[in-house]
Amino acid sequence: MLAIKSSRKNIFRNVAIFFAILGPGIITGSVDNDAGGITTYSVAGALYGYKLIWTLIPAFIVLIIIQEMNARMGIVTGKGLSDLIRENAGVKVTFVIFVGLLFSGIGNTTTEFAGVAGSMEVFNVSKYISVPITGILVWILVVKGTYKIAERIFLIFSVSLLMYVVSALMGKPHWGEIGTSIAHPHMEYNSAYLAMVIGIIGTTIAPWMQFYMQSSVIEKGLKMKDFKFTMIDIVIGCIATVVVAFFIIVACASTLNVKGIQINEAKDAALALKPLAGFLASQAFAFGLFIASVFSATILPLATAFYVCEAFGFEAGIDKKWDEAPEFYFLYTAILIVSCVIILIPNAPLIKITLWSQVLNGMLLPVVLVCMMLLINNKKIMGVYVNKPIYNIITWITIFILVVLSVLMIVMPLFS
Amino acid sequence: MTAITTFYLSRVLGLKVYATDGKYLGKLNDLLIETGADGQFVGEPYRPKVMSARLIKNGNITCLDFKQFTVSKIKSRYSITCKDSRVVSDEESFDFLLLKANILDKQIVDLNGRKLVRVNDVRLVSVTDGTFAVAVDVGTEGLLRRIGISRPLKYFFSLFNIAIPSKFILWDDVEAVDYSNFNIKLGTTFKKLNTLHPSDLADIIEELGTHSRAHLFSNLDEERAADVLEEMEPKSQVDIIENMPIDKAADVLEKMPANEAADILDMLEDDRAELLLAEMESETSEDVRELLEYEDREVGSIMNTDFLAFAETDTVEKVLEVIRAEKPEVEVLYNIFIINDTGKLNASLSLRDLVISEPSVKLSAIMNKKHISVHDEDRLDSLAEIVSKYNLLSVPVVGKDNELLGMVVIDDIVEDLMGRRRTK
Repeated sequence: MLAIKSSRKNIFRNVAIFFAILGPGIITGSVDNDAGGITTYSVAGALYGYKLIWTLIPAFIVLIIIQEMNARMGIVTGKGLSDLIRENAGVKVTFVIFVGLLFSGIGNTTTEFAGVAGSMEVFNVSKYISVPITGILVWILVVKGTYKIAERIFLIFSVSLLMYVVSALMGKPHWGEIGTSIAHPHMEYNSAYLAMVIGIIGTTIAPWMQFYMQSSVIEKGLKMKDFKFTMIDIVIGCIATVVVAFFIIVACASTLNVKGIQINEAKDAALALKPLAGFLASQAFAFGLFIASVFSATILPLATAFYVCEAFGFEAGIDKKWDEAPEFYFLYTAILIVSCVIILIPNAPLIKITLWSQVLNGMLLPVVLVCMMLLINNKKIMGVYVNKPIYNIITWITIFILVVLSVLMIVMPLFS
Repeated sequence: MTAITTFYLSRVLGLKVYATDGKYLGKLNDLLIETGADGQFVGEPYRPKVMSARLIKNGNITCLDFKQFTVSKIKSRYSITCKDSRVVSDEESFDFLLLKANILDKQIVDLNGRKLVRVNDVRLVSVTDGTFAVAVDVGTEGLLRRIGISRPLKYFFSLFNIAIPSKFILWDDVEAVDYSNFNIKLGTTFKKLNTLHPSDLADIIEELGTHSRAHLFSNLDEERAADVLEEMEPKSQVDIIENMPIDKAADVLEKMPANEAADILDMLEDDRAELLLAEMESETSEDVRELLEYEDREVGSIMNTDFLAFAETDTVEKVLEVIRAEKPEVEVLYNIFIINDTGKLNASLSLRDLVISEPSVKLSAIMNKKHISVHDEDRLDSLAEIVSKYNLLSVPVVGKDNELLGMVVIDDIVEDLMGRRRTK
């Protein structure tokens, strides 16, 4: 008959529940450290040493809050973020937001291929070979449907990013200096610095990840009563993101900044791993960058195409055939092709493109956040699960700061 | 001369409404249509009538009777006038559907396409009798129109002789299901959804948000609810059963084949499952409890305990009488089993052999003694081969002493083959 629960069974049960719920937070955390992330954090460390590390702390807090809101919205309503926006914001607003999301999606995918091109250049493979081949392989992998297995493989490989942790520690960072720079945040009011700050926030809290997080919790069929497990998953994912970001910045600061080396190509960034890998630094870095780029290149354009199609009422999903969801497949393919073509332009400034796509993320973020705030505070949609006041305060402050920074960044050059 | 005006909902929302004496009444916020819940419209082409209009003026919302309203188009601009502003009370409009809040931009069921589509606009027609909702616009052209770029884009593409696809679905062929907002309470019975196959309805319910799902499911009668629940993904099944009141959930589970009910109960938390079993009729819950004891890969775990069994002295006529009285589900009829007084399986009989025989023939004459059967603790893997080799639609399952316990139907075997049997 049905067994009586014992306390031992309880522990096993909780662990089992945790592993079943695991996923959305950790995966989004890993995808966060994509080519865009690695590049942005590396450049931050190389150009400004330890001065930008303090930005990670507010980014961490805001990231957890935003992901919690998305998870809560997904579980309570059972609807994706694009559905909610479409149903409540009207078509015109939806159109503007999702066109923005599409551009940011193309920008991010371009970044991933920049990562592919840059990392393969370390192995002396021309980008004209590496990018098209990778693009085609990714397309086949996704369209033929085996990407879930690929996802798992990539997740395992992304553990290789821990190389940065070891390398940073071996590079003998100045902990005192790091401490001071966190305690006394350094702020410069020029366009370049502001762009860097927005870029760091944009790459840590990428807008498309919010849509992804909300869909993931729905797909996993999570419930509010197990929410504490979901929170643990989210927090672990955020910690992973921020820890890797921290060590990338420190590693680059200790090796590149002290020598005044700027990062113009991926090869330069590889030098940051010299303390750990010695003469193999370049290869090790390139490998890590390549894996991270391909992983994100499979997920990102797919997610973008999916959410844009959902918002406009087109069928979407790789479980559907071509003729069942033509707009979705067309959009997905178009994003891949456009991104590859941009990278293949002769002498395309890969690093610059990468950085600016993350800045674009940071500028689109407040728009998505405003939508989320209006949805999550609506009693008709969320019932008793509307935001607690503290969440509202923190998020509105974040939105305000981001908008101010963006405006300043755009306006500053006009005054210099 | 009758004036007919056709218009889109999006073009009139937000318009200023004036009384015939020029007094400003407010901006049009929504239109409310009747829902025809009393069934008198079934069979006739159904165009719901607009019953009232919601106006906003200085932040105050009023609901006015639409009978006194006129919609007219003057030089490609719409205008709405009101002869006599009679306020409609909340009780009167309790049953009405709001076009903007419940239909526009929401998902509705396309009955012919058997899936959910999103409404981009609503087409209405205004005649002397009143104003009626005719169709919903779910096409790309409607989307572009809402964004406001439809006319220039249409012109641009017409230069290349390309038409922007537009898709309209008549009101008869759709059903509004999205009641995701917390304060909507409607008593609709979703009659039109009865034309959908349970499997299609299951897909649709799974795609809806949490509230619409619960609302829609609770409006199905128990038989239909059981059929639909059977076809849903395990996670959705658990979700629905957990959110239903215990007595209703027990009723639905009783109407399902025992093995399906057992599968669902297996996925629930133990105390909830126990509550449900206690609430169910003892005969059914006994069956289910027995089935719960089987392990996952054993034949018994997908066995159906509903079957038809007769003695070999019974006649074809008697069997048909019993079938007509019991009205069993279709899979129970694939094969009929012949047992002796102690319940041991002797032979089986296919529906074909039954139907081609004369009514007075005894079963002993037409039954197949060389029947194939499996034991309840046999492994599942062997089943697919057996079914294929002997061209069977169902296989009887016997216990250690050859007593008939149940049968496995081909549908469940195929599901298992396709790997849809959920793993914990």
